[in-house]
Amino acid sequence: MTGQAFVALLPELISTGFLILVLMVGVYTDSNAGVGVGLAAIGTLAVFGSAAILLATGFSGSFFGDGFVVDGFALYFKLIVAGSAFFAVIAATRWSGRTGDAPEYMTLILSVVLGSTILVSMRDLFGIFLAIELVTIPSYAMVAFDRSRRESSEGGMKYLITGVIASSVLLYGIVLIYGVSGSAMLSDVADTFTGTLTPVAVLGLVLMTSGFAFKLSAAPFHFWTPDAYQGAPTSAAAFLSVGPKAATFAILLRILLEGMPGAAPTWTAVMAFLAILTMFVGNLFALRQRNVRRMLAYSSVAHSGYILAAFAALQGGGVAFAVQAVLIYTAAYAVMNMGAFLVIDLVGEEAKNYNGLVRTNPGVVACMALFMAALVGIPPLSGFFGKLWIIIAGAQSGSILVYIVVGALVVNTVLSVPYYFGIIRNMILEEPTTDTVRSKGSGAVRFSVYVLAVLTTLFGLLIIPLSALVGASGLA
Amino acid sequence: MITTITILIPLLGAILMMLLPDEERLLRYAALGVAAVPLILAGYVFFAFGDDLGVAALSLDVTWIRSLNIGYRVGLNGLGFGMFFLSALLTVIAVLASWDVSRNLKQYFAALFVAEVGMLGVFAAQDLILFYVFFEITLIPMYLLVGVWGDENRRPAAIKFFIYTFLGSTVMLAGFLAFGILADTYAMNALDGGGGLSRTAQVAVAAPILFGLLVKMPAVPLHSWLLDVYVSSPTSTNVLLSGVLPKLGTYGLISIAIPLLPQGVEPFLPYVAVFGVINIVYGSFVAFLQPDLKALVAYSSIGTLGFILLGAASGNAVGLNGAVFQQVSHGLYSALLFILVGVIAVRTGTRRIEDLGGLAARMPWTGGLLALGALAAMGLPGLAVFISEFMSIMGVYATFPVQGVLAALGIILSAMYLLYMLARVIFGPIERPAYEEIGDAGPAEMASVVPLAVLLVVLGIFPALLISIQRPAVDAVLTVIGGS
Repeated sequence: MTGQAFVALLPELISTGFLILVLMVGVYTDSNAGVGVGLAAIGTLAVFGSAAILLATGFSGSFFGDGFVVDGFALYFKLIVAGSAFFAVIAATRWSGRTGDAPEYMTLILSVVLGSTILVSMRDLFGIFLAIELVTIPSYAMVAFDRSRRESSEGGMKYLITGVIASSVLLYGIVLIYGVSGSAMLSDVADTFTGTLTPVAVLGLVLMTSGFAFKLSAAPFHFWTPDAYQGAPTSAAAFLSVGPKAATFAILLRILLEGMPGAAPTWTAVMAFLAILTMFVGNLFALRQRNVRRMLAYSSVAHSGYILAAFAALQGGGVAFAVQAVLIYTAAYAVMNMGAFLVIDLVGEEAKNYNGLVRTNPGVVACMALFMAALVGIPPLSGFFGKLWIIIAGAQSGSILVYIVVGALVVNTVLSVPYYFGIIRNMILEEPTTDTVRSKGSGAVRFSVYVLAVLTTLFGLLIIPLSALVGASGLA
Repeated sequence: MITTITILIPLLGAILMMLLPDEERLLRYAALGVAAVPLILAGYVFFAFGDDLGVAALSLDVTWIRSLNIGYRVGLNGLGFGMFFLSALLTVIAVLASWDVSRNLKQYFAALFVAEVGMLGVFAAQDLILFYVFFEITLIPMYLLVGVWGDENRRPAAIKFFIYTFLGSTVMLAGFLAFGILADTYAMNALDGGGGLSRTAQVAVAAPILFGLLVKMPAVPLHSWLLDVYVSSPTSTNVLLSGVLPKLGTYGLISIAIPLLPQGVEPFLPYVAVFGVINIVYGSFVAFLQPDLKALVAYSSIGTLGFILLGAASGNAVGLNGAVFQQVSHGLYSALLFILVGVIAVRTGTRRIEDLGGLAARMPWTGGLLALGALAAMGLPGLAVFISEFMSIMGVYATFPVQGVLAALGIILSAMYLLYMLARVIFGPIERPAYEEIGDAGPAEMASVVPLAVLLVVLGIFPALLISIQRPAVDAVLTVIGGS
């Protein structure tokens, strides 16, 4: 391994190192939660720091026979993954310390980090599949980790079964694409996927897309999402809905843009269909939920739909804006959704737990109100910028179908107001009841919530320039 | 730079409010102090730069998002300055008039100040996206001001307010984005006259923008959120709700839709004038039927907003000057009436018109000022509203004579219900024995209404104070749209 390749793999090597370290702590010390959690937190920060340094120095290159690429795009998503993992570690501290399984849980988080960071750099379809499995297999365990709650095992089991089916569908699609193009390298696939596609190639594309739709909880493949997120420990739901999901969107974008640019008319139409369906399903089901965690699970389905709308806009003059829309939206969603899940950790998951909370916890309420408003897309909060870019990309694409998708996005934004604002109403306008919970939990979680609230508010000043920087260099 | 500082001071004020200890007198005085600063700065701008608002000291242009050509671009001109000043003034008045708010006072003032950031920003923004951002910043604080501190009917009212106006502004944003994409910039000064768009494109872009602005106002068929919100709000929120918020819509019409999309708006102008007439006539008729004094004032306030639409639609100097002026005079009189209704409701414990009567005997100041406000609302010469309504009607008569004549008839309707209201509430025998005991408005209440009454009179006698500031900007609009 050359020196260059060693530097390129720095985030992955660091996460592997800490993964082993935390696992050893679990094996050789007797339920010593503090050390494991501390190491995991340092580990995620180190991954974040190494990716940030690589991004700042403008490091880029292609390694291992062009199978592993480091570019601004990949590094940006490594930042999102590592950053969200850090907050997940913080959120898991108190809970996993109580059960005494902290090091094991932290190991799982670090495995997901490792898989996700590898995933966004892959340029080989089989490598992509392996990386996705490295992400999903630990995440089954994370969802089912809370043995004190029956829903956790149930959610984990549902997630496992659908996840395995999704993986096989995905793999089948990849194999067909490999069969058609004779190579699993994206650059070789691109040569085959031009002009009129053969039926087998279309089948491969559709199967692979369906596999991804499962992983991204896009309708009609979203059924596992509410059960898995409701059952999962809060930190797991928060992290899985944000970090690995962003990485999966990133690699799907890379496959489509690097591997199948010639087939864009086919897959943008598929994406447009998925986007419209996913937005409506997510929002209409979210409207009916009384459980905040389940509501946020459907909300995450809806937000997958919004991001898929950017994928539909990857045509005509909209490509550059659509890529940047994905960059911005995933980061925006990461800060606001992570924040909302951490508040659930502090307060509780029933909507009535939030009644009149402003009397006892005005700070937490202010943050939660910001997260909810950001999820709606109120300016100048983070979600607004994500939607702004998607609408602009859609308008630039010059396709009638994409205009319809953008119209659906606007309609869905208004449709989502009642359930997000229902939480704000409960917190601020309702009287407290016996169900109202005084915010509990550690100072670290509370501090994380405040940090995320600041990021959500100042998104336009802090993260937009970063994404513009990456967007300029684009996919290497 | 001064403009930016003025916009940001209330934000700092909101943070300060949250940090202060929970002590009522301290909070009220601190809030008054914070609110006074933007007003003083706006007053300074009036005296120092009144003859030329285009100076560099007042504007700031920083690129924000380079790839989209969106910038933090602010500056003042004659179209917005009157409302910029009035927003600062009405925030001070709202702080003074917050006697009926006692619960969670620091949060109340914080929300008030965040709303002020948005209001000041809208009237200074020189970039479409920035305009939208400020436009929406007012939304959540207003939702909270109504939803937390309103009366028992506040929750549905607040949700209704939010969903309606959010829907309207989302549609408006779609129009802005289409405009910016087609013209490749969001800077308003670069978009004058259509930013190079064809007539068809201008019409397509203008339609959603007009819809959003008319919902915000609200123009009559789009107004159904309004009554519950106005009636449920605390008095000091009413001051902003009626004094400033509708002007976010009308100001957008006068300073964005008309000069930036002249050809796109043109086919809609006769209908804008018709909306104006509908507002005036419908507002007057429905006001006549209201048993509740506050609802009567609310409908009267919707009614006189119609004159802004008429003046804006006229497309000539007299009408546009009237429309810009009416934004300010409407804010002054409606805030005055809402506060006085609040004073009466606190004293008598009711807002039902038929339960009131003979209040002038016990509350001479309140009664007198209520009479002044009502006379202003019906357009009595010598008061500010007369000047602007008269100019709007003159302007629109030249362009759309039918609408002009109908609007003039509307003034008679307003005289009917306002005189009826005065006769019923202020004059006549004292309705109930309990009213023998009530006292007149106290010092804080007087302090909140007297400046409004004084300005109504001063601007009625010296309209040139405001018109001289707004005329250059109105002339610039006329050059763009090719009117006279």
